[in-house]
Amino acid sequence: MTFPGPDINWVAFTPPLVLLLTAALAVLFALYQESGRLTAQLSLLGLVVAALFNLHLFQVVRQTDAFTSFGLRYLADTPAIAFNFVILIGTVLAVLMSYHYLERADLDHPEYYPLILLSACGAMVMVAAGDLITLLLGLEIMSLAVYVLSAWRQGSRESEEAGMKYFLLGAFASAFLVYGIALLYGASGHFVYAEIAAVLRGDGFDQLLLATLGGMLVLAGLAFKAALAPFHQWAPDAYTGAPTPVTAFMSVVVKAAAIAALLRIFSSVFPDLSPLVGQVFAVLVALTLVLGNLAALFQRGVKRMLAYSAVAHAGYLGLAVLAAGTVGTRAAIWYLTAYTLMNVGAFAVLSLIADRNDRGDDLERFAGLGRMKPGLAAALTVFLLSLAGIPPLAGFTGKILVFQAALQAGYVALAIIGIVMSVVAVVYYFRVVAVMYFREPEYELPAISSWATSMAIVVTVAGTVLLGIFPGWWYGLLQAGRQLLAGM
Amino acid sequence: MTLTVILIPLITALFLFFSEAADPLVRRFLGLLGTVSTFLVALYLPGTPGMSSLWLPGVNVYFALSPDGASAVLVLVASLVMIPTALYASGRVERRTGSFLALLLIMQAGLNGIFLAKDLILFYLFWELTLIPSLMMLGIWGGTKRRQAVQKYLIYAVTGSFLMLVGMLALRPLSGAASYRLEDLLAVTPALPAGTQLWIFLLFTLAFAVKLPLWPLHSWLPDFHEQNHPSGVADVAGTLYKVGGWGFFAWALPLLPGAAAVVAPVLLVLAAFTAVYAAVIATSQTNLKRLLAYASLSHMGLVGVGLFGLHLTGLSGAIYLLAAQMVSTGGLFLLSGMLYERRKTFELSEYGGLSRSAPALAAVTLFVLFTSIGVPGLANFPGEFMSLLGAFHASPWLAALATLSVIAAGVYGVNLYQRLYQDRETQPVADLRELELAVLVPILAGILWLGLAPGPQLERIEVQTRIIAQTVQPGEEIPMVTLGGRP
Repeated sequence: MTFPGPDINWVAFTPPLVLLLTAALAVLFALYQESGRLTAQLSLLGLVVAALFNLHLFQVVRQTDAFTSFGLRYLADTPAIAFNFVILIGTVLAVLMSYHYLERADLDHPEYYPLILLSACGAMVMVAAGDLITLLLGLEIMSLAVYVLSAWRQGSRESEEAGMKYFLLGAFASAFLVYGIALLYGASGHFVYAEIAAVLRGDGFDQLLLATLGGMLVLAGLAFKAALAPFHQWAPDAYTGAPTPVTAFMSVVVKAAAIAALLRIFSSVFPDLSPLVGQVFAVLVALTLVLGNLAALFQRGVKRMLAYSAVAHAGYLGLAVLAAGTVGTRAAIWYLTAYTLMNVGAFAVLSLIADRNDRGDDLERFAGLGRMKPGLAAALTVFLLSLAGIPPLAGFTGKILVFQAALQAGYVALAIIGIVMSVVAVVYYFRVVAVMYFREPEYELPAISSWATSMAIVVTVAGTVLLGIFPGWWYGLLQAGRQLLAGM
Repeated sequence: MTLTVILIPLITALFLFFSEAADPLVRRFLGLLGTVSTFLVALYLPGTPGMSSLWLPGVNVYFALSPDGASAVLVLVASLVMIPTALYASGRVERRTGSFLALLLIMQAGLNGIFLAKDLILFYLFWELTLIPSLMMLGIWGGTKRRQAVQKYLIYAVTGSFLMLVGMLALRPLSGAASYRLEDLLAVTPALPAGTQLWIFLLFTLAFAVKLPLWPLHSWLPDFHEQNHPSGVADVAGTLYKVGGWGFFAWALPLLPGAAAVVAPVLLVLAAFTAVYAAVIATSQTNLKRLLAYASLSHMGLVGVGLFGLHLTGLSGAIYLLAAQMVSTGGLFLLSGMLYERRKTFELSEYGGLSRSAPALAAVTLFVLFTSIGVPGLANFPGEFMSLLGAFHASPWLAALATLSVIAAGVYGVNLYQRLYQDRETQPVADLRELELAVLVPILAGILWLGLAPGPQLERIEVQTRIIAQTVQPGEEIPMVTLGGRP
């Protein structure tokens, strides 16, 4: 019996590796630093390097077949690379948002940035995972860092409660996932998606019930991370309690990773399980769309409204996941790209308007903003209209792609639920726009200026508008190279 | 070339947004520059080649524009109306004039896009894009109850258009069309099974009926007009934005002829009812703007009557009326703004006997009112006449009913003139000023042009009408009925 050496393709996982090294370096660095600014700059540098490596990887993958590592356990296909870009953009924006925010809010501990980087690194591993163990590994790396970050506001009951809640429920969800993995392994004898799928498809497989049960539990674990109802309960509290940059990071990066994992499993293992899994997921998506949007409608605070809207958007992403095998993958990635820009942008504007403890995000505070701060108001208008799916902004194109995917896959009823709920969404998004422009100023706003946050806003506005007007080039890139692999 | 009528207003709007601190004359100049040059391009639009390039590869959405047939006519008339509208706005909107003009021009860009789009999703894009500026104009510059009006308008418009989007997106996968371009869809969608056609057509109808507007989905309209800026400028923009008729004409009827044949009789009843109902309500209004809103609604009912008769003559007439009422209703709203400036109220009871102090204003008002009533030789007549003629082929009774609205129009029109300009004289007012004269000249010219020489425009419209008439009623011999050349 020959024992093959480990199959390590270093190029495939350079981006997360760079983040890991940067994070390790930043922790050392942080030991000797009072202020987090240098750590932030180091982190930005690391992120840029990771992006360059990701770009290199994209070139390599387009030309050669070198896109897996550790057997089929780590996959660097075009979707993974695209997800990496989304994660990197989200992380860069979160770091930019934090740059002055942390000092202003008295939260400036240098460990903050390494944790963000570690979490992004975990997300990248999750995105590329071709087997259940790698998936779990990535998920835990990502989550542990985020648990800490969400409770970053020490001494604030709200933040601590949010972190605690997130941690306990998250641990519970991980347990679901592990149990599901165990059952799938018990039924099939494999961890790698492709091998599981092969066993499921093979003759004489008689453990369908066990495997389906395992699949359901895996689904529950990932639905928790993606904040799909009814596993979304943690999200509004965690999003509201966490410092705003962390909220932006969580609502984007964590969601991207979970959606990526769902896409892979839905295009490999799940089709061979009982159709019940797909039906259950469809119900989850419908519930998310309805609950997320209706709850957002009744929020007074803008941050909490955005928190629920983030839940609702998980539902739209879920529509694309249902069509995972076909056009759904590209639709989901496209939607996530748009969502990353507009959602982080909205939170960035919010962080310049709310008080330093993140209070004071009532609707009334936005009254007359169009007069007092025309630039900020215009940016927020762009983000909100894009989130509402109004053309010609990125959110609109995303919506078209997602609904097209769902309709093509035959989910007409779900698409109609989604559209009816987007009408509700327009009402709550436009309410903020209306207050900004149609009412006279009532509050004296804190004079906050931060070039880093402003830069994040400029980038996100430009991205939201340009992606909306020229959606073709990003979609074209998504079509290039190796499409979604599931270790096959 | 085709794209320029969208780009010019957009670019002008961009400059206008940053002109808040500039001299008022700069803003006026910019507004005129944008609208006049758009109009000049629109003059040369008919016959120019369109454009078509892949916009969203995954779902085959094309950026396809073409000034074929009726598209160029509507762009031309809308661009004509925009010139006096922008001019008047530059003189009458005191607060944040630059932003107002910018929104107005964005609306123009969106409207031109709606008329020129030859890709279903692109059409939707412009359709929705135009909503935002009209909401902002109402919300920022509107009256005291504007927030309720905005909410009502938003919910009506968005519910309709979002549901329509589902129908649009379903059309390609269900029919197997190569793309969302009109030509690709036209090749396959008429063959869709009747049930599928029906539900998609109903989704389209919901959106188009809100924007036509058609009873019972019209209730946002009176509030919308009453609460808009008293200069009447936003109302003109809103009048141009009544594009539901265009939606039926350019998309719903030709793409889904099977369903159109089934649903049209019902819609014909609704349209005839809308025409009469709105005209009757208009006679009893005491607020000038609400009266005009109902009058406009009645005209749109006639547009519907022409469309849903599904007859060549009626279809052409409906689109011609759609174009003509842009000028006549637009002119009336501008006149209402001029009256408001003199008296600071829209309550008709406050007016009376103005013809003695402002004879020129009275004469122009009477002229535009006559147009609105449908006096032969003026803009509305050919369209109204042909719409009713077309409907007569489908149902003589309903056509007769709809004709009552023309009589009612005579009642409220003449009555309005009396209440404003005759009877006992109230406080004298100033007669037309230079700016106002400059505003009204293009309107009057447009009325005479569309009224006296309908031939060329009708011919352009008819090219498109024949396609629809053939898909909706294939095999039927369609005689060429046109008022071309007739005064």
